[in-house]
Amino acid sequence: MNPTPESGCGCAEDRTLSRRRFLTAAGLAGAAALPMVSTRAAWAASGSWSGPVLLVLSLRGGMDGLSTVVPVGDPDYARKRPGIGVPASVALPTGDRMFGLHPKLAPLLPLWQSGRMAAVHAVGTPDGSRSHFQATEELERAAPGTSVRTGWLDRVLAAAGTGTVYESVHLGAGTVPALLAGPAPALAMNGLAGFALEGGDWITPQMTRALRTLHAGTDLPTAAAGTMTLDALATAQSVVAGRGAPQNGAQYPSGDLGSVLADAATLVRSGLGLQALTIDVGDWDMHNGLGDTDTGWMATKLAELAAGLAAFAADLGPLFDRVTVLTISEFGRRVAENGSGGVDHGHGNAVLLLGGGLVGGRVHGTWPGLADAALDDGDLAGTTDYRNVLAEVLVKRMGLSTGQLGGVFPGLPVRLPGAFAAAAA
Amino acid sequence: MPLDTVHLLRRTTYGITPELLADVAAVGGPGAWLEQQLAPQGVADPVADAVLARFPLAVADPPVCYGAMSNGAWDSMVQVVGATVARQLWSRRQLLEVMVDFWSNHLNITCPSSEVWATKAWDDVHVVRANALGSFADMLAASVTSPAMLLYLNNAESQGRAPNENYGRELLELHTVGIDAGYAQADVVAAARALSGLSVWNPWNGGTAATNGTFRYRADWHWVGPVQVLGWQHPNADRTAGVAVARSLVRYLAGHPATAARIARKLAVRFVSDDPPQSLVDALAAAYLAGGTAVVPVLRALFASPEFAASVGQKVRRPHEDWMATLRAVGVAPDPTSSSRAAVEGWMWAVEDLGNGPLGWGQPDGYPDVASAWSGAGTTLGRWNLHLAAVQQWWKDGVTYAGLADRLLGATKPTTRGALVDALCARLLPGQTLTSAHRAALVGFLGADGPVRNGDLTWMLGPLVAVVLDSPYWSVR
Repeated sequence: MNPTPESGCGCAEDRTLSRRRFLTAAGLAGAAALPMVSTRAAWAASGSWSGPVLLVLSLRGGMDGLSTVVPVGDPDYARKRPGIGVPASVALPTGDRMFGLHPKLAPLLPLWQSGRMAAVHAVGTPDGSRSHFQATEELERAAPGTSVRTGWLDRVLAAAGTGTVYESVHLGAGTVPALLAGPAPALAMNGLAGFALEGGDWITPQMTRALRTLHAGTDLPTAAAGTMTLDALATAQSVVAGRGAPQNGAQYPSGDLGSVLADAATLVRSGLGLQALTIDVGDWDMHNGLGDTDTGWMATKLAELAAGLAAFAADLGPLFDRVTVLTISEFGRRVAENGSGGVDHGHGNAVLLLGGGLVGGRVHGTWPGLADAALDDGDLAGTTDYRNVLAEVLVKRMGLSTGQLGGVFPGLPVRLPGAFAAAAA
Repeated sequence: MPLDTVHLLRRTTYGITPELLADVAAVGGPGAWLEQQLAPQGVADPVADAVLARFPLAVADPPVCYGAMSNGAWDSMVQVVGATVARQLWSRRQLLEVMVDFWSNHLNITCPSSEVWATKAWDDVHVVRANALGSFADMLAASVTSPAMLLYLNNAESQGRAPNENYGRELLELHTVGIDAGYAQADVVAAARALSGLSVWNPWNGGTAATNGTFRYRADWHWVGPVQVLGWQHPNADRTAGVAVARSLVRYLAGHPATAARIARKLAVRFVSDDPPQSLVDALAAAYLAGGTAVVPVLRALFASPEFAASVGQKVRRPHEDWMATLRAVGVAPDPTSSSRAAVEGWMWAVEDLGNGPLGWGQPDGYPDVASAWSGAGTTLGRWNLHLAAVQQWWKDGVTYAGLADRLLGATKPTTRGALVDALCARLLPGQTLTSAHRAALVGFLGADGPVRNGDLTWMLGPLVAVVLDSPYWSVR
């Protein structure tokens, strides 16, 4: 992935964001309980996990939800976006006269129409900073007004994790993002094929054999972690060796996103106890030159995203129903376009949902409108707290009890938006 | 309690080297060496001094940073981290560097991070390094007017009528008494009011070439009226005297018994074990209070304690500490004919990508220092691949590498594979004895035991060294 917004903002914060995201990652834990490392290793061997999987796609830089799930029926939309607005005539129909999808989401339209895709609009966060860094930190910590320092997804896994090495995986970078930061160890890798010792083929098997022995028969503090790592390496290699071409004619787009989504499908299929996958998709910070609906910056990003997710769904086939894909971004963007053909940092945003269990083919949430009086400091107001979108996924899809939500999102008044059907018994 | 040299050096340095062992011997043993380390200004440090000249912006005052860089540029912050790495590798004041790391995490200011681009260097020099072996009260009094801290924790924008509580909260929760000390939200608000007005000059609020990035007291932003935090109170009646009020507060907090207990425990976690005995924590807290928050008496008590002596093998190297020890072991030195920072910065980014770059922790609470925080498979694999990168000499610009065989085996080379493994382990894993199965695995890595053969001292030596560094023996701190 390329988590760094390469252009647009010009704010120094942009570069810091990606750096900081690296830094807030790996390990942390503070006074965390020691995980049961040996149990984790044993679980990984079973290969029999068939429970739900959550894939969080972090759209870093501030994705413009108004260009993605377009409020074509809101008269203020075209008026405030005369240059870069998506015309109603080209937007894809959603079944709701208020909204159309960006035309570049066309590969996902079959999923929308078959009920395996939905959106929630006007999703907001408690953070009003409109700062990439602060908004991202608050988004991923998801515990405003508290001294909790772990990520929300880590708290989910602490409450309901399978306890396997492959319980949670961040694909596309070597360290985990802040939403996974905390005591439940998460695996971070650039990709399955690259998760390997870098000694070269001529020596790696010999090194691996020696390391097996060196981490056995000792109670030195890192021995169990070393054995777990060797298991994880062996698993990655066997999974890569055993995978064939993508199934059902799925064609992943070339580039990083396609490659990590192909790995994601492989991991879902492999039954390793995987419950949570996180992937970063960067470069959404479109302060200038957002572009037209056919060839512009936004069009290019959405085309790649749609092609990747369509291939992911096709590749998984019926297994896609076990999966919930959720997009999230640190903030939406200003309603009115700026003088550079872009949009500045805003607030309310759209969340895309894909997978099984949805009340699909619909835009959920409460639309506050784009009239001046309805805006939050010039931005789309947030009428659904993003934590409630996550909470609904956790309760209806990931097997958490309502009681466990309090530990994941402290202090959240629970009001589920109704984007998912009731959990199966 | 006699000090064990290897145990002491594993805990107080960035890695044992032949040069370090020679220093200890020259000064008369570990006790004398420790005393010398506790007064680092008396330790000559020519190699580190020379290499620091390559990092001028690591010690630059904020106005210099404003003048030398475009707004928001990273040069100074990167040089601060680079200079930190260089000193950890090459300074003879090793315990000072360990304590600088400890306090940099205790008063964490993420570096690099955008808001402190011009001010982190000042904090490093004048808050952390100036007081790392001084008193905590002095350090905290410096920190409360440190532009980097005021920016990082949003106090620079805090106006008393609606104070930003970020710094007030972290001052209590992280820097001093801790969340279990029994303070309430009212204490947080009072602390934030006491701190209001402590701000920073910049080009948009009237700063000049002489003042940009320096501390600015804004009387107009200071909240006036009585303030009370735990057992401290102040009439706070004079709008122009907010700096004195803030200093009074932090000196009170520095000397609070709850702060003593917290810092004692953190030091015990750093130097003794992940779950240190309460007896030791109590003794260190008492030493801290008896010494008026002075650091050196606490460290003396710690290293003389039976709990320290009994803790051999209980701590684990974090990825960055593993990386520094690896580079020290394979023998890298600054190339005196070069002024390049490239290799040092390459090493720095390599471990940043592993999530453990020095000064780089993303939140205000500092890196965890317990084994469970660093036991993930991705982290472990990352450490192992860094060992390979070190023996393969991936970064060369501005530094020199010793020949691996000469560095690790000496001038007279072993003649059998068993002797080669024994010599290597004696050098890399001093004070530890491998099980026979583990020794056999290392010999077997080369092949059948017997005479040293072609390649054992050349192309097989690097991978063999990497395997030794990957072993759980090497991970012991």
